[in-house]
Amino acid sequence: MNYFLQINKKNILFLIFFLLIFFFIYLVINNFDFKQKKNLNLQDKKNTTYDILNPKFTINKTKEKISVTAKEGNFLDNNKVLLQNKVIFQSNNFTLLSDNVIYNQKEQVANSNTSSVFHSDGIEIKSNGFSIIDGGNMIEFNGKSKLIISK
Amino acid sequence: MKYFLIVFLIVTGNVFAKNIEQTEITTDDGIEVFQNEKYYLLKKNVIIKSPSFTLTADLVKAFFDKDLYDVTKIESEGNSKLTSQKNIQAIGDTINFSLKDDEILILGKKSSLIYVDIKMYSNESIHVINKTGEFFINGDKSKLKTNKIEIMGDKIDGKYNSKENFNDIEKLFVEDKEIANIITETMNLFSKKAIYNKETNIIELFEKVKIIRENEVITGDYAEINTEKNSYKIKSNNNNKVKALIINNNE
Repeated sequence: MNYFLQINKKNILFLIFFLLIFFFIYLVINNFDFKQKKNLNLQDKKNTTYDILNPKFTINKTKEKISVTAKEGNFLDNNKVLLQNKVIFQSNNFTLLSDNVIYNQKEQVANSNTSSVFHSDGIEIKSNGFSIIDGGNMIEFNGKSKLIISK
Repeated sequence: MKYFLIVFLIVTGNVFAKNIEQTEITTDDGIEVFQNEKYYLLKKNVIIKSPSFTLTADLVKAFFDKDLYDVTKIESEGNSKLTSQKNIQAIGDTINFSLKDDEILILGKKSSLIYVDIKMYSNESIHVINKTGEFFINGDKSKLKTNKIEIMGDKIDGKYNSKENFNDIEKLFVEDKEIANIITETMNLFSKKAIYNKETNIIELFEKVKIIRENEVITGDYAEINTEKNSYKIKSNNNNKVKALIINNNE
């Protein structure tokens, strides 16, 4: 007697169904891993376009501390760093925002030629760039500028 | 409808609040902020529009007190023009004014200051302290003009009292290297020095005095003119005599 004929058809169908499900899950997991790897690779490639991710440091030259943050940073030479994307200079007195800033670590000077916005208590200055000189004692706003004083 | 009204009131309220309290400064060549020295350096074609005044100049230094928004003093250079809500119009090469002390100094050739009915002109300096009403005009061919009087000299100092729609001259000191000139409604007065006091209604003239009233021309070394009575007395030193010339136009 053939033993195969003794196996219940329902059981066979159930087994095949389970195998198919496992196969499907295997495919999904494999595919997911592949995508994740691909994403990581892309991020790696992207990371290589800048040297520092989310740079953050403080200028301490004057009595007023100025903290500097950005999304990206690139070393131009031993002293100069190009800060890009949401560059923020913040002290107790002011906040200065721009998108492209070159910061000289040695001289503690920052320059920007892109549009910048300065905020302080009751003050807003919009300009086509700025220079932070003398550790923040002097801030020079370049080009056509607008200062709004609200009391 | 209620909500619409509330939103409308909030929006319009905010707009008006901003308009009243904002000072807008524009420049063509940037702004330098000196935090330790406490001033802004505003460069090229500077326009300052504040609720109390409008200033245009080539270069402006705006000094602040404790905070960056607390501007107390302004020094402008090059083609400076000031118009204030207090009916002040000033033109000069340099205009310096203190918002705290209500004081203004105008320097340079063809300087002028018009304050309601008082007009001051100078080729050197005009200094006005509005709180006390004191003024100091210096320089060759300086001039002060009101609806009642016109004064010319190298140095014109005095004091005015601000009334509702006019300024009343209370004290005056005029001097000129050559000859100063005062033109009243009835007389034309010349001398090297002149002093006026509103309390006594007397104009005193010193040296090289010449009084012209209608057809009379009187010269001497010292004169006292009573502006209320429209009369005068004139004296002379020992060497000179008082001279009177009466011109008859009918002849």
